[in-house]
Amino acid sequence: MRKFLTSIGLLLLLVTTAARAAHTEAQLLLAAEQARPGDTVLAGIKLTMEPGWHTYWKNPGTAGQATSIKWTLPPGVTAGEIQWPLPKKDVVSDIITFGYEHEVVLLVPLTLDKSIAPGTVNLGAKVSWLECNESCIPAGTDVEAGLEVGSEMKNSTEVALLEQWRAKVPTTDNKFAAHAFWPEPATNNMRELRLEVDWVTPAATMHRTVDFYPDASEDFEIQADTKKILDSTGELDFTKSVKKFSGEWPAKISGVLVVDDVAYETEFPVLETKSSVTPAAVPMANRFVEPPPSLLKMLLLAFIGGLILNVMPCVLPVIALKILGFVSEAKSDPAHIRKLGFAYTLGVLASFLALAALVIGVKAAGHKAAWGMQFDSPVFIVCLTTLVTLIAINLFGVFEVTLNGGTMDAANKLASQSGAGGAFFNGVLATVLATPCTAPILGAALGFAFAQPAPVLVLIFLAVGTGLAAPYLLLSWNPTWLKFLPKPGAWMEKFKMAMGFPMLATVMWLLSVASSTYEKKVVWLGVFLVFVATAAWIFGEFAQRGRTNKFVAGIVALVVLAGGYAFALEKQLDWRHPQTPTAADRTQPDGIWHAWSPEAVFAARTNGHPVLVDFTADWCLTCQLNARTSLDIDSVSNKLKEINAVAFKADYTHFPDNITEELNRYNRAGVPLVLIYPADTSAPPFVLPELLTEGIVLEKLDAAAK
Amino acid sequence: MKKFTALLFATLLSVAVSAADIGQPAPDFTATDINGQAIKLADFKGKIVVLESFNPDCPFDHNHYATGAAQELQKEFTGQGVVWLLVNSVSPKNSSHRSPAQAQAEWKKLKLAATAWLDDRSGDLGRLYGMNTTPHVFVIAKDGTLAYAGAMDDHPRPDGDPRQAKNYVRAAVENLLAGKSVEIPKTKPYGCAVHY
Repeated sequence: MRKFLTSIGLLLLLVTTAARAAHTEAQLLLAAEQARPGDTVLAGIKLTMEPGWHTYWKNPGTAGQATSIKWTLPPGVTAGEIQWPLPKKDVVSDIITFGYEHEVVLLVPLTLDKSIAPGTVNLGAKVSWLECNESCIPAGTDVEAGLEVGSEMKNSTEVALLEQWRAKVPTTDNKFAAHAFWPEPATNNMRELRLEVDWVTPAATMHRTVDFYPDASEDFEIQADTKKILDSTGELDFTKSVKKFSGEWPAKISGVLVVDDVAYETEFPVLETKSSVTPAAVPMANRFVEPPPSLLKMLLLAFIGGLILNVMPCVLPVIALKILGFVSEAKSDPAHIRKLGFAYTLGVLASFLALAALVIGVKAAGHKAAWGMQFDSPVFIVCLTTLVTLIAINLFGVFEVTLNGGTMDAANKLASQSGAGGAFFNGVLATVLATPCTAPILGAALGFAFAQPAPVLVLIFLAVGTGLAAPYLLLSWNPTWLKFLPKPGAWMEKFKMAMGFPMLATVMWLLSVASSTYEKKVVWLGVFLVFVATAAWIFGEFAQRGRTNKFVAGIVALVVLAGGYAFALEKQLDWRHPQTPTAADRTQPDGIWHAWSPEAVFAARTNGHPVLVDFTADWCLTCQLNARTSLDIDSVSNKLKEINAVAFKADYTHFPDNITEELNRYNRAGVPLVLIYPADTSAPPFVLPELLTEGIVLEKLDAAAK
Repeated sequence: MKKFTALLFATLLSVAVSAADIGQPAPDFTATDINGQAIKLADFKGKIVVLESFNPDCPFDHNHYATGAAQELQKEFTGQGVVWLLVNSVSPKNSSHRSPAQAQAEWKKLKLAATAWLDDRSGDLGRLYGMNTTPHVFVIAKDGTLAYAGAMDDHPRPDGDPRQAKNYVRAAVENLLAGKSVEIPKTKPYGCAVHY
C-alpha cells in the first residue's frame, strides 16, 4: 500500500513537470526541396525561445545541458555532426554558461547516398533541450520534414535563413598558429593559462575583444575572465584561468577563439613554457588575420580627418590664401566661383592621388611606406622652401604671377590670379603642406589604408582629400553663404600682404626641417632664398612693371637666380648630396628624454618603471605643438619624476625602419604617436590622442603609475 | 554602500575559492534550517558531513529525488551516523524559492531522509563553499577536512535512473567509513546554476 502511494506521488511529480508547457519551439528546416542522390542537404533545427528563456551550446558551461538531436532517417540518408552557431556567453559571479536566446538554428548536413531511390523521403528527429530562465525545464519534441529525391537540386525558401546561421558557425579552416603555455605552477586546483596567437597586426588586436569558448571537458573548466597581455616582443597574448577537477593539466585546449564577433574553431597545444619561436619568424600566411574594420567606417574617418586637417597648423597659411580668394570672388558670377571650387578640389584630389601612387610605388618596391615620407627628401624640402618663399613675396606684391608673362590691367590681374589654374595650384599646395600634420582621427584611417591593397588605399586617400576640400567646395557651391565676408576693396591688398607673413613662418618651419639634414649648413639655403627674393624683385619691378629694357631686366633676374643657385646651393650646401645623419647622431639624450629603442622600453618596463614614448619628427608640426604644450613642460617632467617613469623620444625625422614597424603595430602610418605604458607590464599601453593637452598627459601618467 | 557590499561579496568569493579545498579544513558556518533551528558545522565534529546544494525545481535535482535514488542514499548513510545537509541557496527573488512552510511540505512530499534542509536564502553558505550548480556536493571527513567536492554522479542528465550511474558521493562516504582516503576527491559538478 505504502509502495503504491509512493508511486502515485512519483507519478504526480512527473505529471506536474510534463504539464508545464515548453517555452521553446522546435522546427526542422531543409535548405532544399529536392535533391539528387549523392547530394548533401543542409538541415537546421530552429529553436524559438520565449523572451527570457535560453537553451544551451555544445558546452553548456558550469550549468545547463547541451541540446541533443536524435535522428530517425530512412536508409540512404546519414546525418553529420551538429554545427553550432557562436553562442552568447553569460557570466553570473562564478557561473558561466554558453547558450542561445530568442532564436537559434543548429545546423546538420544530411548526406543522401548515391544509391537512394527517387521519391519522397521522410526525415525525422527527436530534439531534446534544457530550457532555462529563472528555473530550468527539460523539454523536447519530435520534428519532421519531407525531401524529394529527384533529378535536380532545388533550393527551398529556408535557404537564406540557414545560410544566415551558417555564417555564425565558427570557421574551421584556420591557418594561423596558436599555442598556449603555463606561466606559473598551479595554486591548488587553479592555474593560469597563457594563450598565444600570431596576429598579423597585434596592436590592432589590442583594441578588440578576445575570448575563448572552450569545448566541454569533464576534467577541467575554463573560467570566464580574459586578461589581455602584451608580451616582451610586443605580441598580444591573453590569459584564462583553468580550474582542474581531475586528471593531469590538459596538454591541449580546443574550442572557439572569438575576436570581436568573429569566431574561429581553434586548438591550442599547451607547451610547458613559452614558445621559443619569435613572432617575427612566423610566416605571414600562418598568422591570424583580424577581421578588417568596416571600409565605410574608415572612409568616414578619413573624410572627417581631412576636414580637421583644415585647421591644423600646417595648412593655416593656405587657408589665409583661400579666404582671400573667396573675398575677391564674392561678387563674381556664381558659375565662375563654382568652377574655382571644383578646380581647388581637383588640385587636392590630384595631389592625394599622386601621394597614393607614391605610397603604392614604394610598397611595391618592397620598402616601408610612411605618411609624409616625401619630407625625408632634402630635394623636396629645398624646392618646397623656395616655392613657399616665392608665394610669400608674391603676396607682398614684389612680383606678380601671370600666365602669359606680360603686363595686365587690374581687372585682368584679378582674373588670372584667381583663375582655375591658381585654384588648382592652391589645392596642391594645401595637400603638400597638410601631409606633415596627421590630424586627429586621420591616424587610424591612414594606418588602415597603408596596410590595404591599392584600390582601397586610393579610396581612403581620396576620402581624406574630399574632406580637406569639402568646406571650400561647399562654399563655392552656394556663394550666398559668402555674405558674411567683408566686401572687396582696398583692404584686400593690405590683407594679402599680411598673409605673406604666415607664409614666411612656414618657410622658417621648412628651414628647421631642412636643418635636420643639412645641420649648420642650412644657412646656405637661407642665402639662396635671399638670391631668389632679389631675383623676384628685379623681375617684378623691372621686367613686369618697368617701362624700358624689360628683356634685360629679365635676363638680370635669371642671372641673379642662377648665380645664387650655383654659389649657395651647389657649391656651399651641395644640396643634392646631403649627409643624412645616422639615428645615433641625432638621438642625443635631452634632459629627461632618452633615445628610444624597443629594447630600452622593454628594459625600463621590466625594472618596474612606467614608460612614456613620444614618436616625433622635426617636420611634424603637430608633434612640435604637443611637445611645447603638453610634453616638454615642468608639470609633466615633475610628474615623470614623481611616478619614477622613464621617458623616450623616438625620432622619426628620417623614417627609420624600426619606428615605422612600431607605428604599424599601432596601426599608424605616421607621427604623432604618444604612448604611456603602465607600470603593470601585463597591461597594454595607453594610446594618447594625436592632439594633446597637459591634462590628458598628467591623467594618463597617474593611471600608469597605479 | 553598494561598493561595500560588492567588496564584501568579492571577499566572500575569494574566501570560498581558498577555503573549500580538498584536504583543508572545511570552512565553518552557522545556518538556520527550515524548522528555525540553528545548525553549526562545528557541532558535527567527529562525524562525516555531506553538504548538497539543492533546488527541487532543478531538473537534475528533480531526477535524483523523483526517482527516490537520493533519498535511499540519505537513509542509508544517516543510518550510519553520517550528517546530510541540504543547502537551498535560491534567492527569494526567484520563483523557485521555498518559504520554510513550503519547504516543510516538500520535505514530507519527497520523503526526504537528510539530516536537515538549510535555508540559505542569503546565499552566504553556498558562496562560502563555491557552490555553482545544483547538485554540487561536498563531503567533509570526521576530522573536519574537505574530502570530496563535485558532482553527485557521472550521469549529468536530468533523466534516466541515477542508480545505474557511478555515484561519487557514495564512493567518497564509503571510503571514509572504511577509514580510507577518498579515491576520487574532485569531479566537475553539473546541473542548474545556483539561483543566488
